[in-house]
Parts: sequence; structure tokens; C-alpha cells
Amino acid sequence: MSPIDPRLQEALDGERDPGELPTDLREAHARLIAAAQLVSGTPQLSVAARVMAEIRQNPARVEAGSPLLRSIRWLGRPVTVRLRPAWTLALAAGLAAILLLPFGPGGPVPGVTKFVGHFPGARSVEVVGSFNDWSRGALALNDDDHDGIWHADAVLPAGQHEYMFVVDGERWVPDPLAGRYVDDGFGEGQQNSLLIVRPAAAQP
Amino acid sequence: MEHRDEAPREGVTEMVNNGAPDVEVVARVLGGDGEAFGILIRRYEPGLLRFATRMLGNPDAAADAVAESLVRAYRHLAQCRDPERLRSWLYRITGNRCRSHLARRHTNDISLSDAPPLADGSDTWGDLERSEQVALVERALAALPAEKREAFVLKHVEGMSYEEMAAVTGARIPTLKMRVHRAREALLAALEEVVR
Repeated sequence: MSPIDPRLQEALDGERDPGELPTDLREAHARLIAAAQLVSGTPQLSVAARVMAEIRQNPARVEAGSPLLRSIRWLGRPVTVRLRPAWTLALAAGLAAILLLPFGPGGPVPGVTKFVGHFPGARSVEVVGSFNDWSRGALALNDDDHDGIWHADAVLPAGQHEYMFVVDGERWVPDPLAGRYVDDGFGEGQQNSLLIVRPAAAQP
Repeated sequence: MEHRDEAPREGVTEMVNNGAPDVEVVARVLGGDGEAFGILIRRYEPGLLRFATRMLGNPDAAADAVAESLVRAYRHLAQCRDPERLRSWLYRITGNRCRSHLARRHTNDISLSDAPPLADGSDTWGDLERSEQVALVERALAALPAEKREAFVLKHVEGMSYEEMAAVTGARIPTLKMRVHRAREALLAALEEVVR
């Protein structure tokens, strides 16, 4: 295999008029284009029925579209505790102090996972993740005092959960404080934040 | 292959292809209308099946890969961060699935048993029947490393821009250009060697 003339590559990339090529390169151009066309036929088969059958058999994702159903399902799951540090040092220190307190009357409520993110100027922030089938509109964060620190509480089952923040309804942002990340499985090297919720019995 | 279905009738394909934009269909599915996902399947499965067939060299394996990819896409549709680029996202998932299939074969290349037989080397290109020409090109494609095969197919069979190829593969544009250029060189050499 030897390198082919750069002019031929340019013509194949649409950067040069093939008609300007010398005869031998024009023939090579035509041969490659013809070769591509030969394998451009669409296979005479379909997987549509198979895929739709699979979807109908287990329509979990669609069911998750109702926030009410999701809330009911979450409430029926085992109760666990996890607290997250805040974006700012002050809030992180405050949450760390809370984490050091023993549970009891007035202490943090068992079963609550706290999501916190620093998004100054954001119009909306929400959390989507494997715990809610990545459904939008299910868990919104609030910034009632308009200091750019958004937070929300949720009850999550024990186990490992992947999640992302969605800012202003369109920007997907991993949690910079997550500490653990996993590849999102869709290529491009994008990563989801990872949250591990321990069983309630394992909490200190 | 147990699950292969008949190709959709032309009228059905036309109807679904002339419908709502991807963004609207995705919103319907995310809103709970799971049946609307069928519109997206009919819209994109011909290209995905063509792409997977060229990647795997076997229609049955391609059908499996595409079916698995579409189910995965449905389950994770809310993770599609830009529904306007749904096509790229579906190709990316399918490409990943094809790579997994190839990895299970412990080689990036299509097995020669999957590729069509060689043409008679004494023939000229013009002497060959179209089916023989197709077989020859398929075999030349099968001999390429997976990354170069993927780059060539996305560029010249699926007709993608380098920008869209980058979105599909996650590779940088200069890298993709190099892969396409090398694939062209290898294909041209293979075609000239077999058919003089």
C-alpha cells in the first residue's frame, strides 16, 4: 500500500473539483466512489418489531415519566442516608459538621440524599440519574436565597447511582464534588457522576 | 437468526420519515408515549443496519447489534443531551455495540469466513457482475482494521461530514481524516491488486 496523491484525497474530501484531476487520478477517484456506492445498499431487513416488543415487555423508562409514580416508588424503597458536601468551603464545612453529629432528634433525617451545586446565574438546575431513569423534570434543585448555591433532597435506595446536573434545561454538567465518575457508555469520553448510597444498617 | 423481520413497507417508511422532527418525537417518548419510539426506529434503522453490516460483515450480527443499540437508546433516551443530533447519538451507540461484538471475536477484523469469496484475479473490473463487484469491495472493506473501516463507511457510505463523524466516534477530526485517507489507500490498493 502506497500513499495516494494528496490531490485525490482532497477531491474525495470535497475540497477539490475531481474534473481538475489528471486522468489516472480521475480514474482512481471514480473507482473509489463506485466502490462506496456498491456497498451503500440498504439491507432488506428490519428489527423494528423486535425492538418494540422488547420495549413493550419492559416499559420501565416510560413509566418513569410520571413524577407522581416515581415519587410513590421512591417512598416504597428502603430508606438510606447520604449527605453531600457543598460547593463552597463554608457550606462544605457546615455539611461536614452535620455529618459528624449523631443521628437523633433534630439531626439529619435518615433517608435523605442532599444534592448541592454552585451554579451562579443559572435559571434552573435539576438532577437526572439512574435512580429516576434519567427523566427530566423529576428532581429540581432550588436556590431560594439567590446565592448561586442550588440544593435538593431526595430519598434514594441503597446502591450505586449515576447522575448529572442539567443546568437551564440544556447543559449537562457532572457534579464537581462527586469524587467518583464513570464513563457514560456513549463514547466521546463523557462521564457521569457516581453516587454510592450505603444500606441504612451500614451507616455509622 | 430468529428475530429478523421483514423490511418495512415503502409506504410506511415514507409516512414516518415525513413526520415530526426528532426533537418532537423524543419529547413525546420522554413524556410517556413509548410507541412514538417506533417512528425513530423506522427513520434510522436502515442507515444503522447498513453501518453495522459493513462494520461486522454479517447481517445477522448487524441486526443483533442494531436491535440492542435501539433498546439501549430507548432506555437512556433522557441522556441524549442534544436531540437535534439524535442521528449522531444513535450511530455512536451502534458503533460502540459493533466494537463490543468485534472485541468478543478477539480481533478487530471481520473473519474471512464472513466475507464473500474473492473474484477471479484474471478478470477486469468491467468483466465482473455487479454481485461480484460488491463481494470484492466487501472483502476489501473486511480486510481493513475496524477503525479505518468505520471511518470509510461513515464518510463514503453514510455520507457524513467529518464534524458528524467526530460526534459519532469521539475521535478528533485530523485523526478521522487520517483514518479515511489510509482506508482509501488500502482499498484502492486491494482493488487494483485483485482486478487489473
